[in-house]
Amino acid sequence: MNRSLIDLKHITKSFDGTMVLDDLSLTVKENSFVTLLGPSGCGKTTTLRIIGGFDMPDTGKVIFDGQDITQLPPNKRQLNTVFQKYALFTHMTIAENIAFGLKIKNKPKTYIDDKIKYALKLVNLDGYGDRSVDSLSGGQQQRIAIARAIVNEPRLLLLDEPLGALDLKLRQDMQYELIRLKNELGITFIYVTHDQEEALTMSDTIVVMNQGYIQQMGSPESIYNEPENAFVADFIGDSNIVPGIMLQDELVEIFGARFICVDKGFGTNKPVDVVIRPEDIDLVEPGTGTLSGVVTHLIFKGVHYEMEVTTPDGFEWLVHSTDLFPVGRKVDIHVDPFDIQIMNKPASEDEEAIGVNE
Amino acid sequence: MKKRYGSLKQFFSDFYLVAVLIFLYVPILTMMVLSFNTSKSRTQWGGFTLRWYQQMLSDPGISSALYNTLLIAFLSALIACIIGTAASIAISSMKPVSATIVLGITNIPMLNADIVTGISLMLAFLAFGISLGFKTILISHITFNIPYVILSVMPKLKQTSKSTYEAALDLGAHPLYAFFKVVFPDILPGVLSGFLLAFTMSLDDFIITHFTRGAGINTLSTLIYSQVRRGIQPSMYALSTVIFLVVLTLLAISNYRPAPQKVRPGVDPAAAQTAAAREGKGRMPEKLQKGAMAIAAVLIVAAVGWVSVMKFLVTGSDELYVYNWGEYIDEEVIELFEEETGIHVTYDMFETNEEMYPIIEAGAVCYDVVCPSDYMIQKMVENDLLAEIDLKNIPNISQIDPTYLEMSRAFDPQNRFSVPYCWGTVGILYNTRRLEELGVEAPDSWSDLWDPALSGEILMQDSVRDAFMVALKDLGYSMNTTDVDELQQAKERLIQQKPLVQAYVIDQVRDKMIGGEAAVGVIYSGEMLYIQEEVEALKLDYDLEYVIPKEGTNLWLDSWVIPANAANKENAEKWIDFLCRPEIALRNFEYITYPTPNKGAFELLDEDLQANKALFPDIDSLEGSEVYRYLGDEDDGVYNALWKEVKSR
Repeated sequence: MNRSLIDLKHITKSFDGTMVLDDLSLTVKENSFVTLLGPSGCGKTTTLRIIGGFDMPDTGKVIFDGQDITQLPPNKRQLNTVFQKYALFTHMTIAENIAFGLKIKNKPKTYIDDKIKYALKLVNLDGYGDRSVDSLSGGQQQRIAIARAIVNEPRLLLLDEPLGALDLKLRQDMQYELIRLKNELGITFIYVTHDQEEALTMSDTIVVMNQGYIQQMGSPESIYNEPENAFVADFIGDSNIVPGIMLQDELVEIFGARFICVDKGFGTNKPVDVVIRPEDIDLVEPGTGTLSGVVTHLIFKGVHYEMEVTTPDGFEWLVHSTDLFPVGRKVDIHVDPFDIQIMNKPASEDEEAIGVNE
Repeated sequence: MKKRYGSLKQFFSDFYLVAVLIFLYVPILTMMVLSFNTSKSRTQWGGFTLRWYQQMLSDPGISSALYNTLLIAFLSALIACIIGTAASIAISSMKPVSATIVLGITNIPMLNADIVTGISLMLAFLAFGISLGFKTILISHITFNIPYVILSVMPKLKQTSKSTYEAALDLGAHPLYAFFKVVFPDILPGVLSGFLLAFTMSLDDFIITHFTRGAGINTLSTLIYSQVRRGIQPSMYALSTVIFLVVLTLLAISNYRPAPQKVRPGVDPAAAQTAAAREGKGRMPEKLQKGAMAIAAVLIVAAVGWVSVMKFLVTGSDELYVYNWGEYIDEEVIELFEEETGIHVTYDMFETNEEMYPIIEAGAVCYDVVCPSDYMIQKMVENDLLAEIDLKNIPNISQIDPTYLEMSRAFDPQNRFSVPYCWGTVGILYNTRRLEELGVEAPDSWSDLWDPALSGEILMQDSVRDAFMVALKDLGYSMNTTDVDELQQAKERLIQQKPLVQAYVIDQVRDKMIGGEAAVGVIYSGEMLYIQEEVEALKLDYDLEYVIPKEGTNLWLDSWVIPANAANKENAEKWIDFLCRPEIALRNFEYITYPTPNKGAFELLDEDLQANKALFPDIDSLEGSEVYRYLGDEDDGVYNALWKEVKSR
């Protein structure tokens, strides 16, 4: 578990003069499930393609299990990829698709047949071997694509938004399947997605990327609860990001009201960004909270109510709560100290992109 | 009412359909009927025969042209497919802007006029010193076929997802294996349709082939074209009929095969293919596919091998390149020559002196012996294009009547460059019965062609020198005059004659006269024997007679010359000497029917023929006759300008 399987070292890549990855370094431990998460154009797919060997980095190295594979073509790498659009071979049957990699390796026929049977069972598509690709649904096709990859017993499986084209219910089912597969096979997964929920559900480690930089890396919980900058906070879940002034350690002023927090080391009277998750805001009777406001918007979301509370300075707070406060009601806002996350204000856009952990 | 209107509409649409069918198919039907006509005439039905089909099958020229056509079409389509597919892949991986530019550039040859492509290719070959031949046709056809392949492969490539190729690499496939196993099956329909399109384009092409072919190479289209001079041979009708029927059959077969499964619109064909595969039919099993590819590969290798072996054999032996008028030799004579000397003859034909000249001048095709006419020989001598003939090597020159050597001096003053082959006169052909009906005396003078009673009954030659010859002789001037005043008078004379003229034609004088369409026509004496035979064969109830007008006429002479760049001059002299043998000259005369200058051959002729004044007029009666001389470019221009004035009135 502690051994590193993939080491990306100072990778730089640009297309037509546009920098896509800038000095990116990343270590992936053996047998982990790492998700590269970010908006489109953040460089996550390029990172995956560099690991897969489909794109060459301009500078930097790709180390696989201690060996430099930067110059190795994709067909020589001990890893397999599941593509976004499945990329099945439509002129072959399901069984021929799965056998493709094994035939190239000249495996005996009985071995191949066994593997096909085993893989189809693994992805719950027993007996589909003689069917054609077009006779399968999207979810089935994606499972075949996974089966085709894993029969080769790769040490690393790369998945490029494999569930992007599926509908919600199917996507959730497949998420569980992928977790199950990973646990059964003991393969390292590197998963690319722009869907933060998918990332939070499946991963051991999430790597949040933006504009070619790694913004934050850590467990789903730490990413969610302790975003290190406004981008991460905004991208992972909903959040209220408000300007504040760090008066001293463990005390921050927001819109003139003082909140007790747990953060230290920002100095005194320093402007900062404050992140507060909507579900961490408690709405209380006027006079009992820290900041006063009026409910201006209300939507029922099933699990909870989503409300907007406007404070006198004009800021609209997003609040998730199981308690109903009708529109027009005067309320106070209360936040527990450990639910307040303080971040440095970026001095420039560039710094914002680089993030604080660089 | 409504029903009535409907049936009227029905009637018109039926009428329209019938009219279209008639327009489309009557010409083809006419050709098919003529291919069974005993008579060579295009207007007279002489009874049913399969003779032309036999002639077609036994004609080595046709079978070799057919072989060339198919081989070039196959090879050029195949190579264009390989290059075009590779190009498509390269283009599809370019950035959009450069892809659009490159695609535009590759499309231009397709939109370019064939004539421009043909001439520019020929010039390029000449400029780079590539001699014209099989390979230049092949290269040209590949060139113009590539855009068609790209055009049909590109859309298929766009449909094919790039990730399937990457998926194959990812699964351990070598890039080539991935391409052939994964990408190629997806684009195969496009490649195949590109191949068929290219094959058809190559089969079809005439213009580009015409400019880029070399000595001894004909495709069907150039072969058919080269027959035009003396009228297309009926065996060509037979060939065209066979081609038409073969194409028709192929079309019928390809349309008749059971309809494929209904494909939903918008579904990509590859998917439809696999859908068909699911039905268990229609999909080529892998083994069969491999077998077909293997067979194709073997065929290609065999074809290429055979061609190169042929080339090797041909270049390995003694060679002679002959360039002659179409139908201007008995082909058995060529075989006799080859048998006797062991020299391999490559025989090519031209239709006009003007077509032959630039070919010799360009020197791309090195002919060893050529048969131009009088004035053209003079032009070639003046431009240093001819080699002197060593008459010591041509002992049979003694068989040539000195009269004709004398005649040759008009264009070859010392008889150093040419040996006479055929000669003849230009005269008036008239229909005896028609003149009787019109109450006109038989003509004996060019001025009879200005008789108002012959209005609409005169056929004139549609060539500048022949037309002016008639007018100049009528006015009593030389037909080689460069005096502007005399030429102006001749022009006025021709304009004056114009309302009386039925048509200005070349070949058709013969057939129109046989068909009884006109009373008088200006014609070359060489056609006479054929015309007389035809009148007899068709049992016509009128006679066609030939007269040389008393003012004198054009004496023309076609002679063998050796181009300065000839590679096999000795063989060329052997050839000329062989043709001067009386018995060989006789054979040629019997085939060509143009008067021979060979006195030995003349003496072997029947007395009847010897006495035929149309063919062999007394030289004395030719007083006032002249041989055309080359007038130089400037005066040629004057003639042409004046002729244009006549034609445009």
